Amino acid sequence: MGNNGERNVIELLWSYRGMFGHALLVTLLIAVAAIAIGLVVGVVCASVRVAPKTNIVIRIIDKIVRLYITIIRGTPTLLQLLIIANVVLLPIYNASTNILVPMIAFGVNSGAYMAEIFRSGFNSVDRGQLEAGRSLGLSWLTTTTRIIIPQAIKTIIPTIFNEIIILVKETSVVSYIAIFMSGKQVYDLLGLSDKLGLSTGEYLAFLITAALIYLVIVLILTLVQKIIERRFSISDRR
Amino acid sequence: MIDVRNLYKNFGKVKVLKAVSVKIEKGEKVAIIGPSGSGKSTLLRCMNLLEDPTYGEVWINGRLITPVDPYLHPDIIVKTRTFRRIFRLRYDAVRCGYMTEKELEREVIADIKRHDYLRRFEGGEYRKAMRALSHKFGEKPDNVRRGIGMVFQHFNLFNNKTVLQNLTLAPVLLKLKTKQQATEQAMALLRRIGLADKAHVYPSTLSGGQKQRIAIVRALCMDPEYMLFDEPTSALDPEMVGEVLQLMTELAKGGMTMVIVTHEMGFAREVATRVLFMDDGRIAEDGTPEQVFGAPKNARLKDFLSKVL
Repeated sequence: MGNNGERNVIELLWSYRGMFGHALLVTLLIAVAAIAIGLVVGVVCASVRVAPKTNIVIRIIDKIVRLYITIIRGTPTLLQLLIIANVVLLPIYNASTNILVPMIAFGVNSGAYMAEIFRSGFNSVDRGQLEAGRSLGLSWLTTTTRIIIPQAIKTIIPTIFNEIIILVKETSVVSYIAIFMSGKQVYDLLGLSDKLGLSTGEYLAFLITAALIYLVIVLILTLVQKIIERRFSISDRR
Repeated sequence: MIDVRNLYKNFGKVKVLKAVSVKIEKGEKVAIIGPSGSGKSTLLRCMNLLEDPTYGEVWINGRLITPVDPYLHPDIIVKTRTFRRIFRLRYDAVRCGYMTEKELEREVIADIKRHDYLRRFEGGEYRKAMRALSHKFGEKPDNVRRGIGMVFQHFNLFNNKTVLQNLTLAPVLLKLKTKQQATEQAMALLRRIGLADKAHVYPSTLSGGQKQRIAIVRALCMDPEYMLFDEPTSALDPEMVGEVLQLMTELAKGGMTMVIVTHEMGFAREVATRVLFMDDGRIAEDGTPEQVFGAPKNARLKDFLSKVL
């Protein structure tokens, strides 16, 4: 009897595989776009933060960057998403919330965290490395790109992947708002499971399915992290 | 010639260097000794601008690498608003015949220097004079640093580069040599110090003494005119100090101009042609090793020597 019920649930889940595939795509689409935006924003902001404050322009930009980081880190992600969706981007994507909105929202959110990660990586490299480069007549930029950043990357890979993993899972926050892709409403993994779970009455089964899919994504990311870490540890071995 | 003029360096409220002036001629081997915290390393680091002096100027081979310090140029001070204001205020002294205009000018300049009266904005004439001077003598620090090798206490070899890459990186990036020339020179130098077999390993596998000798060779690969050593043996195990000092002695015999901050008094006595004793941010004694070690005049120096010798 129970066996039969389980089979029914699995069949039920299997019948929705197409929708799950689509929801997975939506989640990954948002995550990848947000990571890309976050990395770019993070690199730019971190560069401003660590650059020598030689002139007034860079000092003003530095202040703005600090304000941005403080605000983003000091407020909940969901709140940021709602503000960006309903206030900031409303004039552009009127009424229906385009999928670009969560992409930008999560990208902007992640950028602040990435900026701090990059900055900590830069600062984790011994100051002597920079001084040695400068004493040989290399410019700040050359020393940074040739000596500091390659060493910094090695130390920030775990933290960056941590941030990426958090970001992938945090995209589930979009289920709070309705998102549209080319005029059609779409659902992310959590949003879909929530909706189907409620309508079919098998709530737990759908949530666990979503959880398993998230878990698999994260396991794959962890694997990628290991491979990259091994790549970068050459100068430690031998 | 390294010409340090009236150098001050403040770290926040701590005054590390106070009016240090010193000229180091080509070919001299200058040892800087003194108690810790006396400003030896800071002085050395100001010579290639790893540390920005608060006041004062550093000239290398007749080129100014720091910003112009208006306090060192009376002809610039007279163009400032502050000078004109004070001069006008005290002009009665000239009118009544107590002093000539020249005397008043000298007095006002002295007062401005003494009380650090100059402000950020001192009018167009002042700005023009400053710019003209830095345009005439100024040089980008990066260009000057190429000719000044620096050896650090903690070696600071590039950890992400092999030994050979460490040596060839700067000359090739700065287009001073082709990759092949740089590699040949680097290998020749490595053979000279007996570390040619380490060319392709990463610094993390080397001993402290090996790292420091390679750091010296890395500086030499730029064909520098001057070499600055910042306590090169202080972070080494005792048995490795000898090999580094020997390389430095060879370098000195080869005629290199060297400035060495060191606690190795025996080495300073033997190799240096001139010894500076620094105490509390000032050069307290300056003389030949015989004078400084044999017949110290300064009381602090006597005290210091009795502790370290």
